Amino acid sequence: MRFVEEFRDAELGRAVAAQILSVVEPGRHYKVMEVCGGHTHSIYKYGIDDLLPDNVELVHGPGCPVCVIPMGRVDDGIAIAQVPGVIFTCFGDMMRVPGSESTLLEAKAEGADVRMVYSPLDALRIARENPDRDVVFFAIGFETTAPSTALTLMRARAEGIRNFLVMCNHVTIVPPLRALLDSPDLRLDGFVGPGHVATVVGARPFEFIPADYGKPVVIAGFEPLDILQAIHMILVQIEGRRCEVENAYTRVVPWEGNLPALKAMGEVFALRPHFEWRGLGFISQSALRLSDAYADWDAELRYATPGVRIADPKACLGGVVLKGVINPWECKVFGTACTPERPIGTCMVSSEGACAAYYNYGRFAREREVV
Amino acid sequence: MSAPSLHGVPDTGVVCADEGHCVTCSDAADPMRVVAIDPADIAVCEDEHGARWDVMVDLVAPVAHGEMLLVHAGVAIARLGEAG
Repeated sequence: MRFVEEFRDAELGRAVAAQILSVVEPGRHYKVMEVCGGHTHSIYKYGIDDLLPDNVELVHGPGCPVCVIPMGRVDDGIAIAQVPGVIFTCFGDMMRVPGSESTLLEAKAEGADVRMVYSPLDALRIARENPDRDVVFFAIGFETTAPSTALTLMRARAEGIRNFLVMCNHVTIVPPLRALLDSPDLRLDGFVGPGHVATVVGARPFEFIPADYGKPVVIAGFEPLDILQAIHMILVQIEGRRCEVENAYTRVVPWEGNLPALKAMGEVFALRPHFEWRGLGFISQSALRLSDAYADWDAELRYATPGVRIADPKACLGGVVLKGVINPWECKVFGTACTPERPIGTCMVSSEGACAAYYNYGRFAREREVV
Repeated sequence: MSAPSLHGVPDTGVVCADEGHCVTCSDAADPMRVVAIDPADIAVCEDEHGARWDVMVDLVAPVAHGEMLLVHAGVAIARLGEAG
């Protein structure tokens, strides 16, 4: 398919890898963070890190929306799912994320009507088909996913569908990036920017990274050549002592973003004053709730939830993995007590999570040999 | 990602995975070709594997048959090749 195959060309990939090798300084170590879980997944799926020089290290960022949902929010979702008559809907990976005592999948096994959907539009269809039951959609995701929830809520409102409700856990990308950059234990040389968040919000919101923190950012797509090209552009900026936001994903990312998407999000959502991120703690103005105009569709206003903060499991070092301070295999429970089949931390649940990506694509065995 | 338009809402209960990769839970999006359009800004789009999906096209409307869209969680977030 056009726009896919040409960005997976192995020969071109090796050519870009050779260009990367030509711009790195021997003896200098480079740490580049890929912000998105989708990038992390592509890097291991296509073996992109194997094409890089040893002194170019990829660090995995916080951009997996499943991985950053704290246990207390999962517990709140399960509490709503257990209300008799409720149909609770969510994306597939969310069903396996551990709460303090169980998962949504286990709640389903115990009798709750929990259903996997591919989009909020599916949940709205279920609401149409079940007018006598409340259908709750557990919304997660960054600005890439939030427009889908917003447009679906606008449809529900236009059609007068009142039994479709949203438990909103949408998060925004800039505040956690700023929190990461403010971490004293973090040393990064540049960022592979989140291509699909930028498709919605544009490249402009990332200008604070070079302006305030002196780090280059290159917005990238998700095919192997996209990512290699972005890494090359970051290294070229470093070599040339430049520091700016560049867009390597011009086939979809407009500098100013998708204005209808931003307008829809502005109508349907409002910023939460603060939100807890798994492993990163509370971050101000980093998440969305439904706006007052959509209060009638807000599941958290219709149903009581425990709202209890649950500390992350001590054995799991997912928080430091999310900050890129350590590699997944440096966590003591990685691949032993914590596996994709029996995850302790969220990073092992979603295949976009850094730990699951390492584990599923054979890094587990290789890194253990190195250790 | 929207459910296949001809088959209603699937409920496999465990994963929405493509090769172990949940395309909805991440920042991933898929190129798809428009094969049919209805008046409510919903298009039927075909992915690279030939599967068909209901897609909201409000953010890129109007769309035409044969156009390539970038689709995430049941919504087209961009027309491919046009951002410049």
